[in-house]
Amino acid sequence: MNGIIEALGGIWNIRDAFAEGALVTIQLFVLTMIFAIPAALPVALGSNCKIPPVRWLCKAYIWIFRGTPLMLQLFFFYYFVFPFIFHAPQVSALTIAVITFSLNYGAYLAEIYRGGIESIHKGQYEAAYSLGLGKTTTMFGVIIPQTVKRVLPSVSNEMITLVKDTALVSCISLSDLFRVVTKQVSARSNPLLYVAPAIFYLIFTFLLTLLTRFLEKKFSVTGEKGSEKK
Amino acid sequence: MTETVLEIKDLIKDFNGVRALNGVSLSVEKGQTVAIIGPSGSGKSTLLRCINALERATAGSITVHGRTLVSSNEQNQAVYASEKEIRTIRSDTGMIFQHFNLFPHMTCLKNVCYAPVKLKKQSKKNAAQAAEKLLETVGLSDKKNAYPEQLSGGQKQRVAIARGLAMNPTVMLFDEPTSALDPEITGEVINVMKTLAKEHRTMLVVTHEMAFAREAADRVIFMDQGKIIEEGTPEELFQNPKSDRVKEFLKAML
Ligand SMILES: Nc1ncnc2c1ncn2[C@@H]1O[C@H](COP(=O)(O)OP(=O)(O)OP(=O)(O)O)[C@@H](O)[C@H]1O
Ligand SMILES: [Mg+2]
Repeated sequence: MNGIIEALGGIWNIRDAFAEGALVTIQLFVLTMIFAIPAALPVALGSNCKIPPVRWLCKAYIWIFRGTPLMLQLFFFYYFVFPFIFHAPQVSALTIAVITFSLNYGAYLAEIYRGGIESIHKGQYEAAYSLGLGKTTTMFGVIIPQTVKRVLPSVSNEMITLVKDTALVSCISLSDLFRVVTKQVSARSNPLLYVAPAIFYLIFTFLLTLLTRFLEKKFSVTGEKGSEKK
Repeated sequence: MTETVLEIKDLIKDFNGVRALNGVSLSVEKGQTVAIIGPSGSGKSTLLRCINALERATAGSITVHGRTLVSSNEQNQAVYASEKEIRTIRSDTGMIFQHFNLFPHMTCLKNVCYAPVKLKKQSKKNAAQAAEKLLETVGLSDKKNAYPEQLSGGQKQRVAIARGLAMNPTVMLFDEPTSALDPEITGEVINVMKTLAKEHRTMLVVTHEMAFAREAADRVIFMDQGKIIEEGTPEELFQNPKSDRVKEFLKAML
């Protein structure tokens, strides 16, 4: 029992390394969200586009990035695309991780948006068109604002998954929280140090749950949750 | 002097082999209320949707207030106006749907003034003032800040009518505006429509409400199998129908 308390006490000793790793994890998360959330919208619209090549391109992108493991994509970009295709070995692992994650999450989010847009009843388009509104105004003024609320739960799920997926970047030697703590665990032969990142991830995902709840309230038109009638 | 504001000639509409409209010709004068009745599947909705360009006709012509939406070429194929012209004609033909189709994320006021702000480039303030007047016309001033989900069906349809009027269209098209409502609240919508008829709005109303057709319409049109079978004043059609099909239909309705 004393041994366990002592081992947990060891967490205090790794606080600096922990903070550095946590910062990398947070950066990766925030940057990925900033890029993926907006970038997925044109892909979602493109995958429903009337022009076949645009549609194929968007669908192929979604298929590839959703159909292969994120870990494989990381390796592929880190060991092949950046050094050999872009001839840019100097690009940092964090940058490569952000780009790969954004592409991967962009594909998932695009599918979610597309589903959300398709779930809007065709009567909404007809009402807008019947008033003389054009396609763009209809899409951005009438359809997309209604999908925001519908896709929110799924987008929130993706954000929570992303928090946990950040741990994958250890495999391209990016010193995120998980890698940093793993190093300390083996250096100090103290596996209980993993309790610290576990709590960190839990708090992180809990905050995201709160954020989702707040946004759901904000986007539910009457301010009450779940008051919408189908 | 009468002015023809809607002119339809030999309109044909096929849905992959199914002929929904089989040569419909109709002209409507300014200020007229025309009721369209007929059995299910006779093409009533399709006719209104063609006028509003929600469906593209296969052949024939439609002219709204001097603007040609569609005309036929020598091969008798429909030739449509430009996208821009189509949008102009759409905003000149207000459409009221059976299921209201209000924008759920906007307040009633915004539902009504959204199109004028976007299309007429009106200032938000002017458009909002005009929208408030329209909500007053349909008796819903107190609901201007409510969202559609907070309204009853009858109230929703009245907001939809105000929204349709907001672009000040030449012709209002109603596709069974009371069919989705409980019988006890159809009256409030019917009354609004009667008011519009009295104000000499030009209206085309597809309806199963024979009382409305009888009392408020200047003309009644009976459609069956994509064709206009008979038309006339309400008295002519309801009291002395010529065709047996109309007789049968009316008997079944009563
Ligand atoms: N989108 C469509 N695709 C295929 N066929 C259609 C479509 N819309 C209508 N039709 C067909 O066209 C014909 C006319 O339909 P329409 O909806 O205009 O009839 P209606 O007179 O409005 O009937 P109701 O009183 O039931 O509303 C019907 O045979 C219908 O099945
Ligand atoms: Mg119909």
